[in-house]
Amino acid sequence: MVAPVGGRAIALAEVPDAVFAQHMVGPGAAIDPVRGPGVVVSPVSGILVKLKPHAFVVTAEDGRGVLVHLGIDTVNLDGGGFVLLAEEGRVVPAGAPVIRWNPAAVEAAGLSPVCPVIALDADRAAAEALAGSVALGPVRAGDRLFTWA
Amino acid sequence: MNKAQAILAALGGADNIMEIEPCITRLRTVVHDPSRIDEAALKGAGAHGVMRAGTVVQVVVGPDADTVCMDIEDLL
Repeated sequence: MVAPVGGRAIALAEVPDAVFAQHMVGPGAAIDPVRGPGVVVSPVSGILVKLKPHAFVVTAEDGRGVLVHLGIDTVNLDGGGFVLLAEEGRVVPAGAPVIRWNPAAVEAAGLSPVCPVIALDADRAAAEALAGSVALGPVRAGDRLFTWA
Repeated sequence: MNKAQAILAALGGADNIMEIEPCITRLRTVVHDPSRIDEAALKGAGAHGVMRAGTVVQVVVGPDADTVCMDIEDLL
């Protein structure tokens, strides 16, 4: 999976939201994004099965889905400051632009801009392998973030 | 019983729900009486996890959260 945004890759446990941090949604990683306008790209190739201004899910051909959530509790922004660059149902390659946003604006609104990237419905073995494969530290959009075998 | 009905029952029924809204993978709800929440039943209904803070309950159901939420709202 490639990083959907650039910044610093951190462990999910560091995300300021208990549901994500405790892996309730699934295993994965998170990115503390660079504070400035940017474009969010798809972490995998597949279909954009769900697209909201602040989050999206891409499902690969083998049925595995990845969730990218831009910031925490950002559903409350009602889409303000987010520009959709694709539409639900579109087939996208990994690295394709999906949303334009500005993490600094999210932060200015009093919300955390940290972005969880979650492997949905990963079984335990895959989850453990995934956790060990996370490339923590500085990352650019499009760089490898973790491996979901 | 379908998923929405099972979740609603496990949340204490329609009259226990003050508000409910979805966010991608979870249902966020505020209930009147948290003691009527049945976590085991929520898991049995398909919830991946339950997070509670007083009267605020978050139920992680997966990416179909908005569909499940709409079905629940139809039952309220």
